[in-house]
Amino acid sequence: MAPDDLLNLFRASVSEVVERDVPELSADSNIASMGIDSLQMLEIVGNLERELQISVPDDELVGIETVGQLLSLVQKKLPSGEAAPS
Amino acid sequence: MPATDRFREELLTTFRTFFAEAESKRRWNPYTDIPWDAVNREAPESLALCAETFMAVESFLPDYVSGAFSVIRESSLGQRWFTANWSYEELKHSIVLHEYLVRSGKRSEEALHDFHAQLMGRRWNVPFSTGRQMTLYAIFQEHATFLIYVRQEQVALAHGDRALAACYRFNARDECAHGRFYEAAARAYLEEDREGTLRDLALVAKGFRMPGVGIVPDYDRRIVTMREDAHIDRDLFLKKVFFPTLRRLNVTRQEIAAASAASRREAQDAGGTAATG
Repeated sequence: MAPDDLLNLFRASVSEVVERDVPELSADSNIASMGIDSLQMLEIVGNLERELQISVPDDELVGIETVGQLLSLVQKKLPSGEAAPS
Repeated sequence: MPATDRFREELLTTFRTFFAEAESKRRWNPYTDIPWDAVNREAPESLALCAETFMAVESFLPDYVSGAFSVIRESSLGQRWFTANWSYEELKHSIVLHEYLVRSGKRSEEALHDFHAQLMGRRWNVPFSTGRQMTLYAIFQEHATFLIYVRQEQVALAHGDRALAACYRFNARDECAHGRFYEAAARAYLEEDREGTLRDLALVAKGFRMPGVGIVPDYDRRIVTMREDAHIDRDLFLKKVFFPTLRRLNVTRQEIAAASAASRREAQDAGGTAATG
């Protein structure tokens, strides 16, 4: 999956979970600063797992702070192992 | 949802096992089981500040007990008996930290008397409205407190204070046992009504905060000291408390996320109905 597609998928999931439009995002965007709490973060990850048919171990979510860190983790779980968004 | 006979029997059995183990293996005396002669009077003030903070949190016991009984009173005998015993054990946590502060020379009895009086000018309010929700809240709270006490024990040892380390060790052991009882109760709730319990678990996870927030004076500054000394943060909570608890309950984070989404959609639908109705 192309990095931009993954970023768009992430944005759509965030928008659904936080129930508002999401402004421009970059890899450096801090997830907590976007008003996403821990439970919402789990919901977003769950959406990505379902959409992409991947599985992310719980412990690997610990320490994730930015959009780039999360999407890089997701990328690694994809069969093709494409590069993370820049 | 009223408790079923099976639920009540299961909770009573769980309590009996818990209490038998507490009586045979876990009873301790804050005046005689702590090596008080090993207190380090030269330890830094940060140790005393942390001990005072935890004592302060434990001091709201009257509010915790009345809050707990208000939501589990009708639920089961096992939970009522547990809460009475829990209260006794938590009281010792406050007593032993009070003793440490005085015996270490870090605080005077008069200062602590004034501090306790100041604390009781505030009130802890029960954060969730049902016995099931409060049981789920208590799992995370007890295990988080266990983790904090274990870390504080290490800090005390690093500063050569074996007395304070023993205080935290006894407290931590109790907290762990309490957390395991609440987990057993949560498993019984899950057996009775998995979907509803998952929704409550999501609700509690979303609204969770430690009981000292908002009631202990100068709490934010105190917590900064505790976090710096013991290296405790949100990630550690997730790694050592939240995810392991879910695993022990045989609940996945995907289930929690799905329950949260379902509750959100229901709220949206209700909002839409109210707007158009």
